[in-house]
Amino acid sequence: MKLLRTWVFYISLLTGAHSVSGQEVAVADSLQTVVLDSLDIKQKTPISLRFGADLYRIIRSRASDDYQGFEAVADLRIRENLFLAAEVGNEEITKQFEQVNFTTKGTYYKVGFDLNMYDNWEGMDNHVILGLRLASSSHSQFLNSYTLLDRAPFWQDPETEITSGFASGERLNLNAYWLEIITGFKVQLLNNIYLGLSLRLNRLISDTVPDNFDNIHIPGFNKKTEENKFGASFNYTLTYRIPFQFKK
Amino acid sequence: MNTLKNKLLFAFVCFGIFAGCEKDDICLSTVVGTPDLVILLLDKDTGTRQSPSGFSIRPIGTEKELVRSTGDSLALPLQITEAITQFEFILNGGSENENIDTLQINYQRQDQFINGACGFRANFVLDQTPVFILNSGDNWIKGAVILKDTISDETAAHLGILH
Repeated sequence: MKLLRTWVFYISLLTGAHSVSGQEVAVADSLQTVVLDSLDIKQKTPISLRFGADLYRIIRSRASDDYQGFEAVADLRIRENLFLAAEVGNEEITKQFEQVNFTTKGTYYKVGFDLNMYDNWEGMDNHVILGLRLASSSHSQFLNSYTLLDRAPFWQDPETEITSGFASGERLNLNAYWLEIITGFKVQLLNNIYLGLSLRLNRLISDTVPDNFDNIHIPGFNKKTEENKFGASFNYTLTYRIPFQFKK
Repeated sequence: MNTLKNKLLFAFVCFGIFAGCEKDDICLSTVVGTPDLVILLLDKDTGTRQSPSGFSIRPIGTEKELVRSTGDSLALPLQITEAITQFEFILNGGSENENIDTLQINYQRQDQFINGACGFRANFVLDQTPVFILNSGDNWIKGAVILKDTISDETAAHLGILH
């Protein structure tokens, strides 16, 4: 039964909005009637804690030599459709970005809330999420190597990599703050186990620019583009809800 | 539900746009690269710009020739992997009284970050004694004066060569 509902959830996400919208309105109407009729249930909204990890970062750490990362996620249900949510992560990534090769190391914290927009059928607990996070990272940038821009190379091959000297080395004690707008969903796989995917649009608020370099990559924020302050990221989480629930 | 789906679709499209378009991956051709050392040939008495007859410059350590090796204002490329670059300053080239002075330019390199796509450009700071004249004897070059000790662009001359 659970599996069937899971599939219904998936299919309703994937099928075109217009073809099924009629049925959904009908379902939603009937659901609303149920909810309105059972006010006493609504008042007993349980507070429950759910925690887990991002699978994508675990898999990527295994698959790539240039990446080590882990992200723990947790949320706390405070209303029927409202969750306090947080992510804590640690990342070390080595990147060749055009003419520079660098290693970014650091930890990040994200705190905010998730709003469940999905009208569940009786007994279901799936989520279509809109969320917001305030995030910060503290990190370091290590410049491994780079090439020098030379418009008219004369003495040396312009691809000559500079690995030591004036600019290379580590920049410590860097910070960044940003906001994330989240869309995503969580599917209840088993009774207390959820699989979730979230896409995040990041808007940088501020960052300490490293001396004679830039935060091309920020842990948790991902790539910082120079022209605008937007970034994007995602996670793919497996979470476990602690069966114990507080009654309000 | 319908509007929610539209919102979600909108969000996914936005995500695609922001994740996909990365225009600063390209280093624009207007960005200035590593500058050359710009020298002026100055008269040792009057300090006025003056190009002597039959004058040219030949870099030492390469078969290549400078794009422009004559005139009173010249851009000399500096070696990035060394803190010195040597040039032959030739007077009356090709004639009987040809006079070649070998000059060594002394400097420190300081690399300056431009952006991720362009990487770095090299800047140079001339040493306190920017020029050594390596050959002894009848030197037609009498000395050098620093006009601007930091070489970060080619808009102004950095070194005056007195003759």
